[in-house]
Amino acid sequence: MISLIQNETIKILRRRRFMIVVGILFVIMTLVSYSQYRQLRESRNENWRAELQERIARYENRLRRGRMNESWSRSMKAEVRRMQFYLDRDINPEQPTAPLVVRSFANAAGFLLLPLLIGVLGSDIVSAENAEGTDKLLLTRPVRRWKILTSKLITLWMFATLTLLAGAILSYVVSAPVLPARGWDAPMFNGFQFTGETLKVDAVRELPLWKDALIAYGLEWYALLAVAAIALLLSVLFKSSAASIGTMLASLIGGTILTRISPDWTAGKYLFVSALPLAEYYSGQAPPYDGMSMGFCIALLGIWALAAITAAYTIFTRRDVFG
Amino acid sequence: MPTSALAATNLTKVIGDRTIVDDVSFELRAGEVFGFLGPNGAGKTTTIRMLVGLIRPTRGSIAICGFDIRREFEKAMACVGCIVENPDLYRFMTGRENLEHFARMTGTANGEITRVAELVNMAHRLDQRVGTYSLGMRQRLGIAQAMLGRPRVLILDEPANGLDPAGIREIRELLRTLAEEQGLAVFISSHLLAEVELTCDRVAIIHKGRILREGTVNELISSQRTLELRVGDPDRAAAILADRGIEFTRDDHGFLLPLDESDAPPIIAAMTSNNIEVFHAARRAHTLEEMFIEATGGETVG
Ligand SMILES: Nc1ncnc2c1ncn2[C@@H]1O[C@H](COP(=O)(O)OP(=O)(O)O)[C@@H](O)[C@H]1O
Ligand SMILES: [Mg+2]
Repeated sequence: MISLIQNETIKILRRRRFMIVVGILFVIMTLVSYSQYRQLRESRNENWRAELQERIARYENRLRRGRMNESWSRSMKAEVRRMQFYLDRDINPEQPTAPLVVRSFANAAGFLLLPLLIGVLGSDIVSAENAEGTDKLLLTRPVRRWKILTSKLITLWMFATLTLLAGAILSYVVSAPVLPARGWDAPMFNGFQFTGETLKVDAVRELPLWKDALIAYGLEWYALLAVAAIALLLSVLFKSSAASIGTMLASLIGGTILTRISPDWTAGKYLFVSALPLAEYYSGQAPPYDGMSMGFCIALLGIWALAAITAAYTIFTRRDVFG
Repeated sequence: MPTSALAATNLTKVIGDRTIVDDVSFELRAGEVFGFLGPNGAGKTTTIRMLVGLIRPTRGSIAICGFDIRREFEKAMACVGCIVENPDLYRFMTGRENLEHFARMTGTANGEITRVAELVNMAHRLDQRVGTYSLGMRQRLGIAQAMLGRPRVLILDEPANGLDPAGIREIRELLRTLAEEQGLAVFISSHLLAEVELTCDRVAIIHKGRILREGTVNELISSQRTLELRVGDPDRAAAILADRGIEFTRDDHGFLLPLDESDAPPIIAAMTSNNIEVFHAARRAHTLEEMFIEATGGETVG
């Protein structure tokens, strides 16, 4: 199995797909950190310490006076703690830092960019062999078909992991030279819950940035594994790379647009694209449909992935291979 | 009795309502080159795809070195090297990387790569991308790939395709050597009678999915010989041939007799003693097409 995975890895690398993916990430991250750098230049406010102190005092005043509901007071207390943290460490909270760029990459890229890249990388892992005729050799060696497909799935998962890691590392590497590179332990607040119009803050947790980022990346990683599984199924179903990649891109982009423009069509919450931006939802972004708790999203992606893998194996191990 | 290297029993493939391969059976022994001869669309490639497990026969079974390819796929495939249809390899990788790729799948040591590359005379081009190879070079790299893991059976689909005459001859000699000296069973498909005649020990002729004839090359060739005869006075000659009880057909130029060269002298003698001039008397090798017209009862090929 190790040598099969080695084969698949070599093929992906030699096709230069992965280098293109990393290149795209690099360009995008450079643009992002440049825009953050501009923001940093504009936010050079010599007075920020005084202003921050003033804001803390104002909040504390209101808290002392009471007369506000429980959840408001909790969120204000959290905000005070956050501002105090920055003041203590002499960091301007308005100022972007490299760790913040890394953290926000999980949200921004998980929404569409990373699924698209994994889709492009993965959707032709089987169909390219079909189109190039190499499946005739691959499947006539003394290795059972399920093992070949397993090696392809594991390789895809490896590259999904690598792409996410590359994104995280690149976002730090390109932003660290131009932005303050410290602040990994800055407090982050998560767990805001939306029920209809009201914001519930009962479950708000305070986490240091590094821990918060790990959770966001973990969720995004899970979502990308599901994307890779679906890409595998499409690559089994189609005979040409263009068809399988095209279908993957169309369902990602089309599905995303659909969930954003027609929130009335409630069946849309069962589409796998609805559940993809796990990191965004974790950070407090409201999912497009009611009843999409974190647990629901994770289960939904799991079911999609499992169904895709089952279908891919069933078809791949049984079908007749014609030219 | 030793198990045969490759045995196909009652192979049938039906797609939709078309029977593409119809009840095909044959057997290969170690050390022989077997030719599968038929025109385009006869069902050669479909049969080969079944032999190597790419498609599932509708009926029938296949055993390679005694292993049923459905029940013991891995053991069966470890005994066989093949090229199906075209020698498609990974064009974006070099020849060496391709061989390494397939060597890893068979658990073959990398030292083998040099050996198989030298076997087909490709050692000097191994570090170039396959995309830059000619069809003939890919054909040879395909054979090198098939030889990885020291198979007992070699299955090649139209190996002469894309090769120049010198290349065809080289491959022919290689296949003969592999069969005679290393005891490989070699199965080749072809639509060229001449190629099969020169390369193979035994031949099966396939047409519209059915095997029409099977036998040694010599049997088939001699059963198919025709004597051409051209004479000065065809009408009297016809009477003489009829007298001697020889079947004949007449064409524009003279007669076609279902006889061998060795039957010619007494006929020539009979003609000359009756003062009929003989301009031409020669064996005519059958083209595949004529053989088919004859075997299928007048249907044309293709
Ligand atoms: N996937 C398929 N579906 C339907 N018919 C097919 C398929 N593949 C091949 N055929 C038909 O089967 C016949 C035999 O094809 P093939 O085995 O490729 O012939 P050969 O290799 O002898 O030229 C042809 O008539 C072809 O059109
Ligand atoms: Mg063919």
